[in-house]
Amino acid sequence: MADYFRARGLAVPPELDRHWYTDWRRLITVSTALVVLGIGFQLTDFDPRHLQFDYAPKILAQLARPDVSVCGPQNEYETWLDGACGLMVVTIFLGIVATLIAVVIALPLSFLAARNLMTGHPVTAAIYTLVRFVFTVMRSIDVLIVVILAAVIFGIGTAAGIMALAFHNVGVIGKLYSEAIEGIETGPIEAITATGANRLQVIWTAVVPQLVNPFISFTIYRLDTNVRLAPILGYVGGGGIGVMLFQNIQLLNYRATSFIILLIIATVAVMDFLSAQVRKRLA
Amino acid sequence: MLVIQHLTKVYPNGTHALDDVSLDVASGEFVVLIGLSGSGKSTLLRCINRLVEPTSGSVVFDGQDVTAAGGGELRRIRRQMGMIFQQFNLVKRTSVFSNVLAGRLGYRTTVATFSGHASRDDVQLAFENLQRVGILDKTYQRADALSGGQQQRVGIARALMQKPRLMLADEPVASLDPATSHSVMKYLEEINKKDDITVICSLHFLSLARRYGTRVVALNAGRVVFDGAPAEIDERRFKEIYGEDAVEVEIGPVAS
Ligand SMILES: Nc1ncnc2c1ncn2[C@@H]1O[C@H](COP(=O)(O)OP(=O)(O)OP(=O)(O)O)[C@@H](O)[C@H]1O
Ligand SMILES: [Mg+2]
Repeated sequence: MADYFRARGLAVPPELDRHWYTDWRRLITVSTALVVLGIGFQLTDFDPRHLQFDYAPKILAQLARPDVSVCGPQNEYETWLDGACGLMVVTIFLGIVATLIAVVIALPLSFLAARNLMTGHPVTAAIYTLVRFVFTVMRSIDVLIVVILAAVIFGIGTAAGIMALAFHNVGVIGKLYSEAIEGIETGPIEAITATGANRLQVIWTAVVPQLVNPFISFTIYRLDTNVRLAPILGYVGGGGIGVMLFQNIQLLNYRATSFIILLIIATVAVMDFLSAQVRKRLA
Repeated sequence: MLVIQHLTKVYPNGTHALDDVSLDVASGEFVVLIGLSGSGKSTLLRCINRLVEPTSGSVVFDGQDVTAAGGGELRRIRRQMGMIFQQFNLVKRTSVFSNVLAGRLGYRTTVATFSGHASRDDVQLAFENLQRVGILDKTYQRADALSGGQQQRVGIARALMQKPRLMLADEPVASLDPATSHSVMKYLEEINKKDDITVICSLHFLSLARRYGTRVVALNAGRVVFDGAPAEIDERRFKEIYGEDAVEVEIGPVAS
């Protein structure tokens, strides 16, 4: 390619005048990657030979025979809610409640974090920057860290799980909503304003219809994600089926563990399917 | 009916979009605004109903000072002026009927708007206007399911709901093909002649301006460079408006 330019006495565009062995930047990138990989293997002591293959068949054999009896109560003192199936339902509701709490908080805040509504005036611009910042902070603390903190502060249980999940989701949902607001068409707003409508009428007629579907769609997407996250939260102190999973692994009850994991996989698959169906219809 | 005096608009970024524009529009006129892209046509139309806030100068509509009007008074003035747009500006996710009914908002209370309950008269009027622009069969469809020409007719029906005395049209046919352009322009011509609604309409094609306008106002860099009868625009005037290198192009013949 470079010859084409040279043959015509033209300057060669720099990105064409390059060979892998003369291109220092490329060499440095590749060698850096190799060095990092080498250091990583050393430090993490990664060695496939450390995987314990001798136990694996026995445990896999147990996992292959899930113990269905853990679905219900285990003795006369327990109710259905204490069994794995009951706890799964509790966990699903944990995700739902956390999502709803997050929506209620994020919905009004998201308008304050929408650039197109807030950048007109110095005061509103300051509010915009602040709310954006808060969303970013809430979002960037990983939900597992928040749950551990919440469990330490408020005690292990569903309350800690819900609070932590809701906290993280205010940041995520707030961002999604405010981006939907930033993406609305201004033409209809202009047209409705021109009819002599007041501000509230304009919002109700020209803004809200543009937001209903994206908001519902984002909410369902988060609901799906949260129900998925909820079992794992229990593992670190957030209550629900994760606690039971954790206990059974500690007690080496692999057949019970297997059933719980299958239950979680089935729930996630169903949620995923439902959420995709609903969102497809909203598009 | 509309008196514009020394209207100037400087956008915050320093663009002088309008520079001392004065116009006197009489009732019943069909004024066509022409001018190059960026000459200030949209800005002028939007200053008339104050979708854009003029920097200085005044607009007086039927004796009401638009430029001095605040909140409620401005909205009462706006509802007497219909407006249609190049991109139609319909609320796409709602039905054609809701879009048309929205033209009544200036006459309705906020509470009535939220409750979603329209008066019998408004519903009746909406059907009449849908019938008038020939899209009664599309009443219950979503607005974005319609073709461009049909959407613009919804736009006209929405504006007619205001029972306006003045119709502002910002390049209403620039997104449409020639045949559809004429069918939309004919509705504007009809409401101008039959309903005695004054029209101010910006257009890209001089042929359309000649065909539909009773008066042509040309803008160049925010100034009025021509104001007169369509027939007066000869080759020399044309070059004054559009520049030395411009050649006139025709939009297709009138479809009937
Ligand atoms: N919101 C805005 N902020 C800054 N400058 C603007 C804004 N709107 C328009 N302008 C500028 O003002 C001038 C007039 O624009 P206007 O849209 O009124 O022209 P127009 O005649 O309608 O052009 P067109 O035929 O392309 O629609 C242009 O130079 C444009 O760049
Ligand atoms: Mg324009």
